[in-house]
Amino acid sequence: MATLATPTPAAVAGSDAKSGLWSWLATTDHKRIGTLYLWTALAFFLIGGLEAVMIRTQLARPNMGFVSAETYNQLFTMHGTTMVFLAVMPLSAAFFNFLIPLQIGARDVAFPRLNAFSYWVYLFGGILITLPILFQAAPDGGWFGYAPLSTPAYSGVAPGSSELKMNMDFWVAGLQVLGVSSLAAAFNFITTIINMRAPGMTLMRMPMFTWMSFVVQFLLILAFPPITVALVFLMMDRVFGTTFYQVAAGADPLLWQHLFWVFGHPEVYILILPAFGLVSEVLPTFSKKPLFGYNVMVYSGIMIGFLGFGVWAHHMFSVGMGAVADSIFSLMTMLIAIPTGVKIFNWIATMWSGEIRFTVPMKFAIALIAMFTIGGISGVMHSSPPADLQQTDTYFVVAHFHYVLFGGSIMGIFAGIYFYYPKITGRFLDERLGNAHFWLNFIGMNLTFFPMHFSGLLGMPRRIYTYDAGQGWDLFNLLATYGTYLLVVATAVFVWNFVRSRTRGAVAGGDPWHAATLEWSIPSPPPEYNFAKIPTIGSRYPLWDLKEPTWNADPSGHAVPSDPSDLQEETASHTAKALGIPMPYPTAKPLFTAIGLVVMFGGLLLFRDHHAVGLAILLTGAAMLIGGLYAWLTSPLE
Amino acid sequence: MLKLRLRQAAPVALVAMLLLTLSACGLTEYPNTTFHHNTEFNSAVDALFDRLVFWGTIVFVVVEVALVVTIIKFRKRPGGPAAKPIHGNAALEITWTVIPALILVLIAIPTVKTIFETQAEAPAGAIKVEVIGHQWWWEFRYPELGVVTANELYLPVGRTAAFELKTKDVLHSFWIPQMGGKRDLITNKTNHLWFTPSADLPSSAWNGFCAEYCGSSHANMKFRLYTVQPDEFESWARHQASPAVFSATPAPATPVIPAAQVTVADSAASVAAPTAGYAFPKDRLEAEFPHVIPQTPIPAGITFDDALLAGGDPVKGATEGFLLGGCIGCHAISGVPGAVSEIGPNLTHLASRHTIAGGLYRNDAPTLARWIKNARHLKPGSIMNTIGKGEYDPILKTTNTMGLDDRQIADVVAYLMALK
Repeated sequence: MATLATPTPAAVAGSDAKSGLWSWLATTDHKRIGTLYLWTALAFFLIGGLEAVMIRTQLARPNMGFVSAETYNQLFTMHGTTMVFLAVMPLSAAFFNFLIPLQIGARDVAFPRLNAFSYWVYLFGGILITLPILFQAAPDGGWFGYAPLSTPAYSGVAPGSSELKMNMDFWVAGLQVLGVSSLAAAFNFITTIINMRAPGMTLMRMPMFTWMSFVVQFLLILAFPPITVALVFLMMDRVFGTTFYQVAAGADPLLWQHLFWVFGHPEVYILILPAFGLVSEVLPTFSKKPLFGYNVMVYSGIMIGFLGFGVWAHHMFSVGMGAVADSIFSLMTMLIAIPTGVKIFNWIATMWSGEIRFTVPMKFAIALIAMFTIGGISGVMHSSPPADLQQTDTYFVVAHFHYVLFGGSIMGIFAGIYFYYPKITGRFLDERLGNAHFWLNFIGMNLTFFPMHFSGLLGMPRRIYTYDAGQGWDLFNLLATYGTYLLVVATAVFVWNFVRSRTRGAVAGGDPWHAATLEWSIPSPPPEYNFAKIPTIGSRYPLWDLKEPTWNADPSGHAVPSDPSDLQEETASHTAKALGIPMPYPTAKPLFTAIGLVVMFGGLLLFRDHHAVGLAILLTGAAMLIGGLYAWLTSPLE
Repeated sequence: MLKLRLRQAAPVALVAMLLLTLSACGLTEYPNTTFHHNTEFNSAVDALFDRLVFWGTIVFVVVEVALVVTIIKFRKRPGGPAAKPIHGNAALEITWTVIPALILVLIAIPTVKTIFETQAEAPAGAIKVEVIGHQWWWEFRYPELGVVTANELYLPVGRTAAFELKTKDVLHSFWIPQMGGKRDLITNKTNHLWFTPSADLPSSAWNGFCAEYCGSSHANMKFRLYTVQPDEFESWARHQASPAVFSATPAPATPVIPAAQVTVADSAASVAAPTAGYAFPKDRLEAEFPHVIPQTPIPAGITFDDALLAGGDPVKGATEGFLLGGCIGCHAISGVPGAVSEIGPNLTHLASRHTIAGGLYRNDAPTLARWIKNARHLKPGSIMNTIGKGEYDPILKTTNTMGLDDRQIADVVAYLMALK
């Protein structure tokens, strides 16, 4: 931005608006957008959690009648879709937004307005896909949307009638909208990380969270095209009657499965690597030690991302691909365990010889190591296809991926929230409530998901809305349901803490944890321009160089201590205007453009039923999108 | 300190729980366990799984113990040692890259070996069974024996069963946990799976499931497997291959339409033919295999006067019910001319089965009557029409004004229950 035009007075005046609804609708500040992501994703996390509570209530005992089969199928579809696309990914995005510019010493992301656009598209896409559940019309084909169940022949009209069934249309449209958001954000962050690092911050001096985020952005731009192609095909089958997946016309349903999992498996690493990055910030800070084996941590992250594209068919060992394909995908899957294991051991080695402070974020980070290990081990168990044939599509798999995604991603994200809340709000989350949350969460999680290993190996299939008595599964299901209720209590404690601490939490300074990276060198919450003076970086731990040189004694001698004058904490709060720093102009054009995109897809949804009305709305949306983009691209940034 | 002890105890407790449950898996209270040696297929799977659990447990213990020891030993405490600024250690990092890699080699070799063993061609002399998935029930065909049946599979012990897996609609997955791994049914494709029920198994009953999400009643798409002695199988198959035996004793009055007349005449003639073949004895199910008997309660909101069932007239059931009532549109009964539709399950020997509706309900007269009256009320999404007169159809969202009354349904039930 500094390289762009000098600020006009109007622009500077505009960026001064700091409160009120409009300041949020028109914001282009990466920190505010990060905050919007955080709140929105937490709201969706609660919705997804509520869906889980209903699922577990229905399964508490055999032959329960809490919800109908149709409602249950909508609930498990939406629980998966919500948690993956609307909760965990955007929670990671909240950290990408808030932290990447701060960690690399930049004043914003490369494309602030595109960043706003990503958020608004996510919000509207999330609403589009979630709202139908209030009308019992939510997607019901599973988060994986397997063809041919998702094709018009089996979900196009209500069975036995000609009444249009829209459930899967919302899913197909909503996921495409969300893909636009993810892709726009990914290109933005890649550009930001490549181009906007502070002087001296070489790639191998970047904080580990930024590194893992960097890897994730490449996974996003490589994984979303296949799912987009798959979804466009499916949408054309549903709306225009093409025959990509229509089995009556001879389609091979495995086309969908391959396209979906070519996306779906890298997606797992999209969900977990940001959490790995967050704990890689938390563990060194509270061990008072640099991260053990930084280079290997970077390479293993890249390796996981790379191998992640070669293992998709391990989701398909039961489809009959043949012995050769099964063997290859099995061996590739086992390979992934190696870089993942290295990360686990390096984290433990990071704590070894440290001075460990058991703060709440540290507890969540340690819990990630302990719990993800369990998910990793069960993962190796179904990397072996013959064994997997007894495990796939059973509760054993449900146990496995919840240890990975709850025990891994969610634990890591909570570690990140407790760690960065003081930076985001200027106040600490309450430590006592945090401890209560941690222990309830830890016990609740294990009580919910550990019994599922047993019910699965004892023959309980997944995605069943009910099961018969006397099958040997009753105890495990009841325990899992109690565990879920415990998680409800845990989450309630967290929400209370999260909301309350905004105004009542203890005031945190710029560097409340004695951390090492750049984001802690500025006040909390950071000023809109982040850094009054862009610092020059000499090592991976610039703040330790400055404050506690012995914590980061680097035997290699490659690191150059950072210039102390760059890193002094701001005491007075200046405005960007007073400092003469050009800031991006707040604008609602990205919001308007995002609305256009969603209206366009809304028109497409209506098109099946009412061609004329649908087309009119579709064209209106397209006009808004193009008009919004034109106005946006022809107005200056600052 | 308490917190530290809790953290110490957690992994130990988890391992203890794991071992406890694994040791309990052979017990009868887990009727669908995957830990067994009932087939050569699952013996191979189980051997592999044992190896995975062995190495998995070692890795689990090593990692969790290292983690717990580290956080206790290096917790910050007054007078404790200062943190050391260690950036890494190449030798250590190579060690914990190489050791897991070696463990994986020990897993990978038997894995690949087992893949090729279990996916080889079925051995010669296998009995061929076609499995056809439908939303939401199972069709089983034995092409060499001329048997077509639904939801209940019979296999002789000691002989390999080679399955050809197909589906008429969406994807399903064929899974009998007590026999071996699952295999998906893929539209427009034929998949293969084979296993041999161990020759020393006594005649037994097992549960089968659909393991691939297939729509509303995915949970209700179950089936039963009876592994029986070769002579019992032979008796069962011979009987199942024969046309319907209409064993109703009262001499029929003049049937309403000629087609039915032929049926009744045929069946009267075939009364002398072999009497009912083998079916897995119901009393043995109740005594030894209660877990294969459906416990599904009939949903509230459906009434039927069970007193009518005693007086049901099978002949009227065949004619006014099965033929004129519309059943014939979807259901085949071998020996009844025109009853050849393959939309619904083949009913030729319905009364020899223990379950109906994709294994969801017991096959007895009161349940069958309610099922016929309003299948969609009893099973979400069922494509079987709501037959009962005045019944609300939950899919069409209308009340059926045509249909059969309770009296007529009792006749149909009497007819179907006569199809031994």
